[in-house]
Amino acid sequence: MNLNFIKTICPYCGTGCGIILQVKGGRAVTTLADRSHPVSRGGLCIKGWTAHEFIHHPDRLTKPLLKKNGKFKELSWDEAIGLAADRLKETVKAHGPDAVASLSSARCTNEENYLFQKLIRAGLGTNNVDHCARLCHGPTAAAMAYALGSGAMTNSIADFSGAECILIIGSNAAETHPIIMGEIYKARDNGAVLVVVDPRRTEVANNADMHLQINSGTDIPLIDAMMKLILDASLENREFIASRTDGFTEMKEYLSQRTLEELSRECGIPLEDIRKVAELYARAREASIVFCMGITQHACGTSNVYAICNLALLCGHVGKPHSGICPLRGQNNVQGACDVGALPNVYPGYQAVADEKNHAKFAQAWGRDLSRKPGLTVTEIFAAAGTTVRTLYTMGENPLLSDPNQGHLMEMIPKLDFFIAQDLFMTETARYADLVLPAACYAEKTGTFTNTERRIQLLRKAVDPPGEAKDDFSILCLLLKAFGLKGDYADPSEVMDEIAALTPIMAGVHFDRLGTHGLQWPVPSDDHPGTRYLHKDTFTRGKGLFVVPKYTPPKEMPDENYPFVLNTGRMFSHYHTGTMTRRSPFLDREVDKPFVEIHPADAARLGIVEGGGVTVTTRRGSIETFARITTRVMEGSLFAPFHFSEAPANALTIEELDPDSKMPELKVCAARLEKG
Amino acid sequence: MSLREEVLTRVKALLKDRRVDGVLGLSLFEKEPVPCLFEDPFDVDALVIEPKWLLAKLAMNILKTAPQEYRLGLVCRGCDDRAVTELAKRNQLDRNRLTLLGIPCTAEQARKCLCSTPYPREIVAGERVEGMYPMNDEQAQLFLTGSMEERMKRWARELNRCIKCYGCRNVCPICVCIPCKLEDDLWVKRGHIPADMVSYHLIRAFHLSDTCVSCAGCTDTCPVNIPLMLLQVSMRETLKSQYAYEPGLDPERVSPVLTEQEKGEGTLFQEPAWIDSLRGGS
Repeated sequence: MNLNFIKTICPYCGTGCGIILQVKGGRAVTTLADRSHPVSRGGLCIKGWTAHEFIHHPDRLTKPLLKKNGKFKELSWDEAIGLAADRLKETVKAHGPDAVASLSSARCTNEENYLFQKLIRAGLGTNNVDHCARLCHGPTAAAMAYALGSGAMTNSIADFSGAECILIIGSNAAETHPIIMGEIYKARDNGAVLVVVDPRRTEVANNADMHLQINSGTDIPLIDAMMKLILDASLENREFIASRTDGFTEMKEYLSQRTLEELSRECGIPLEDIRKVAELYARAREASIVFCMGITQHACGTSNVYAICNLALLCGHVGKPHSGICPLRGQNNVQGACDVGALPNVYPGYQAVADEKNHAKFAQAWGRDLSRKPGLTVTEIFAAAGTTVRTLYTMGENPLLSDPNQGHLMEMIPKLDFFIAQDLFMTETARYADLVLPAACYAEKTGTFTNTERRIQLLRKAVDPPGEAKDDFSILCLLLKAFGLKGDYADPSEVMDEIAALTPIMAGVHFDRLGTHGLQWPVPSDDHPGTRYLHKDTFTRGKGLFVVPKYTPPKEMPDENYPFVLNTGRMFSHYHTGTMTRRSPFLDREVDKPFVEIHPADAARLGIVEGGGVTVTTRRGSIETFARITTRVMEGSLFAPFHFSEAPANALTIEELDPDSKMPELKVCAARLEKG
Repeated sequence: MSLREEVLTRVKALLKDRRVDGVLGLSLFEKEPVPCLFEDPFDVDALVIEPKWLLAKLAMNILKTAPQEYRLGLVCRGCDDRAVTELAKRNQLDRNRLTLLGIPCTAEQARKCLCSTPYPREIVAGERVEGMYPMNDEQAQLFLTGSMEERMKRWARELNRCIKCYGCRNVCPICVCIPCKLEDDLWVKRGHIPADMVSYHLIRAFHLSDTCVSCAGCTDTCPVNIPLMLLQVSMRETLKSQYAYEPGLDPERVSPVLTEQEKGEGTLFQEPAWIDSLRGGS
């Protein structure tokens, strides 16, 4: 009857749940939950249960397309690859290698990301390769790598259930990482105290023991106050501080400069509540901090993460089971894309491009001279589009919806000489491309994804790509060949072997070792079992470093003309730019219209009714959307999900950047709300 | 011969003798179990019987989409056997096209599922173990006894965690209505979590009141650990004590919820004690 059940990995968030695709006659017809998967253990969220629904959508791209006189015309793969290679080479010749910029993809496999950055670095000679990690955990990677030596989630998802105290800051995991939320609830059932810090009364907050509803963007004052209170009560872990950390004296000096009253006023939380939380966290035998975009998407995002690391170091709550610093990664393979070098400043395995030894190592391995100059970040690429950046190549990214200040992007992209977009669908971004390459989705390829807990997991091909679409691995092999580089890899496992040979943290990772449970890096050798938690006995950088955070209040605060604070993010039934979820009938049924959350008092004052049309305007732009009246947001605050192209929240956001990581301040800007 | 080997021998024989066209069971894939439709006797060596994995709904879907003459074997446990019976009663599958290969659960599995009948009516191999009386379970006591306020608090705490994944509906072997009431705007508000306690969870529970085969699939799949199956326990116990009726045990007997209604003898069955919590008064 030709019915198969293929175990693979969910393509949505960074949890990395196990799904089983039921395949009949070459079509994925149903998704089942994988009862034996180490992370999800037979559970899935609404997106996981419907992961088959977009695969065979009629909108899938099936042929390479070239824009001529404003219209897309089909062309053959030979022509498309030849053209792409020619235009890239011409740009390099005319303007130098740094005139090409590229965006790799947190949605693609490790092997594809590795080949992509290799093509850009070795084929073109530039480090201008980045991806949307910049817009999620860029600050995390920067801060945790500096303070601890590794930018990744220190512990495992299964570790949560054993913690005594879990502090969730700026994460609505119930909607964005539901399966991880289940593990956190398990901890609470086992007696743990759950504290949530969030300006919104999210589902997580509703189910917590305490909710600190802070003013947007004031995480540093709150954490500084907690640290002061912990020190005042002598609850710091002196032994840990003495033996395993540096920089404590400077930290203490910094903390002494502010008064508790000032800090409490700034974050809007009564001192007594801060004291309670500080003591709960410090007194717990094992405690974890979970954080997400509420921490990172600020112009002081990197410092926010430093503050979190400081708090954990102060109490010694890192480097042991059930106790760590846990950034929840947003995409199925955003961890992996970073791990294998889809970043402008590092080669695979976070080996800095500016380091002479690393440069020599990769130049030799790839047989090409390489640029020593760190490349441009996502936000810098679009700022330079049409000026110093002449040609852009994107793989599986939709910056027009995911990046701040959409209007600016729409002005800049057309100024490029040539734009190559590789994707599943004709996305909002691909419409602007000159050449569109049809790619394959997760169900149509083999390779590996790395989840938020550093678990490298095997994807298994369930169905063929539609029409002439090719998996990104095959497309990249063709391009690599066109640039005279090795492109005859037998399959992705050979690429992983190459990654392993060049990447110490993944040195022991080979497909035949992964099975259905995967391996958690670091895996330094072929017989290493993988690592459940990081920084045991010693930090990756030696000692954990207290780093004095530089707090900057949000750049744009409400004023007379723009009286609201606008926050953006995700909701449970859609995912990022909606390219996949909005084409899944069940998810579209759940939510088929954009919305903005408005506090009842604000709605009453402006005469806005539930479901009614409203206009949200900022200094960047304006969107028409629908009102959702709810006490989830504070009075004077708005929240808009960014999934909807007809009301793109990122037409409103500000591109104020975090100076350290170039993260835009997507979580706070000033807005005006009008009825109709 | 181990239980697995006995089942394996039977499956091979069924396929070789062409008494069925395929057998739905579990196979090992890279050392881990996954559902598998065995059609070639040579593939059957990969067959495994653990862990407990609900297959009745998959079997129903296979039969619904296969050619009319396709006959299926199903490696099943007590709950799948009862689900097949209930599905057949509701014309969801043709029992004549299905050959069951029944195996018993272990005592531990029965305890975990609060299962009173941890074996199918016919078993091809293995030993039956005693089931358990669900109300003896500590968690069941906690959630189903005590004052209304206490129970309400406990259930509200659990159900408030619901992430509206629809997993409980998706795995339930007898949740097969088309269209599904949980996708009806009249009852379940779209786009919000948690799913409403009364209109989502209690509609689901009551819809299954006389069909729940006590497989524990809903509880097992719930990512936020809501003990959903406990919603059924009282109703199952009432049917059992009042009418000596258990869903899935007798293919001929129609649910008393239907027959008693036809007789016009007033309320359907004696109200369980906990029904006070639905009235909002004490």
